[in-house]
Amino acid sequence: MTPDAIRESVRRVLHSIAPEADLDSVGPGTDFRAELDLDSMDFLRFITGLHAELGVEVPEADYRKLGTLDGCVSYIAAHAPAATTP
Amino acid sequence: MRQAIAASMARSKREIPHYYLGASIDMGPSLSWLREQNLSRPVAARLLPIALQLKAVALALRETPELNGFWVDGAFRPGSGTHVGVAISLRRGGLVAPAIHDVDKLSLGDVMQALSDVTVRARESRLRSSELSDPTITVTALGERGVETVFGVIHPPQVAMVGFGTTLDRPWAIDGMLGVRPVVMASLSADHRVSDGHRGARFLAALGDLLQHPETL
Repeated sequence: MTPDAIRESVRRVLHSIAPEADLDSVGPGTDFRAELDLDSMDFLRFITGLHAELGVEVPEADYRKLGTLDGCVSYIAAHAPAATTP
Repeated sequence: MRQAIAASMARSKREIPHYYLGASIDMGPSLSWLREQNLSRPVAARLLPIALQLKAVALALRETPELNGFWVDGAFRPGSGTHVGVAISLRRGGLVAPAIHDVDKLSLGDVMQALSDVTVRARESRLRSSELSDPTITVTALGERGVETVFGVIHPPQVAMVGFGTTLDRPWAIDGMLGVRPVVMASLSADHRVSDGHRGARFLAALGDLLQHPETL
């Protein structure tokens, strides 16, 4: 998966959790939990959404690595299961 | 929304003689147990500390049933179950506190599922009106926003409100030794027409004890 495709998936999942948020205002290195006012329930839904969409299972200890868009992209690039599409 | 909150809270402060108690609770045992649990749980079944706190509140109410119910026509009417209202802030402003029913009888996984369900539906304005009138007590957890202590305003006709602040690492004396523990400030706002501080203190003590034994929740 390309970084751009990952970034798009991450944005899609974030949008499903905070539909009213303006994702364009979130910089690549911005802590979006604070920026979008996500609580721990929202963040858990985000992690669950990433798992559903990309198959990446994030242990709790790694949550802090997924607090920014850039963090998400590099983490998922390193941990996503190999693509099964032909 | 703002007007409904204004009417309810003004009535509360006009009619309910609140008393307030606070207690520091060591969350160490609960958080370690939770970390262990979550290692083996799939993402979708992971637990948050609030699930343990809600269940502990529901079980502690068995000790002090006079905090669980309603003040109606000049008398206390006990709740027909332990239906815990959870304060959920809405992104466009305001808040709602829908009930999770019979929390004392649910597994932690079920509490978590129910909490996730009402949170999503609250944000999408898809709650049933009965869910908003069912709570027999309400819990507010402002901890997410870095608040250390919250003393809530009782939602009439309920007779008590429990608050949890942020869990923070604090110096904590154990057996004469100073250690660092994750500590949460739990608070109780209760209706003095129904209960006294002595009973309220008993509730907070039971709550604290339960959170030291997360495996029993």
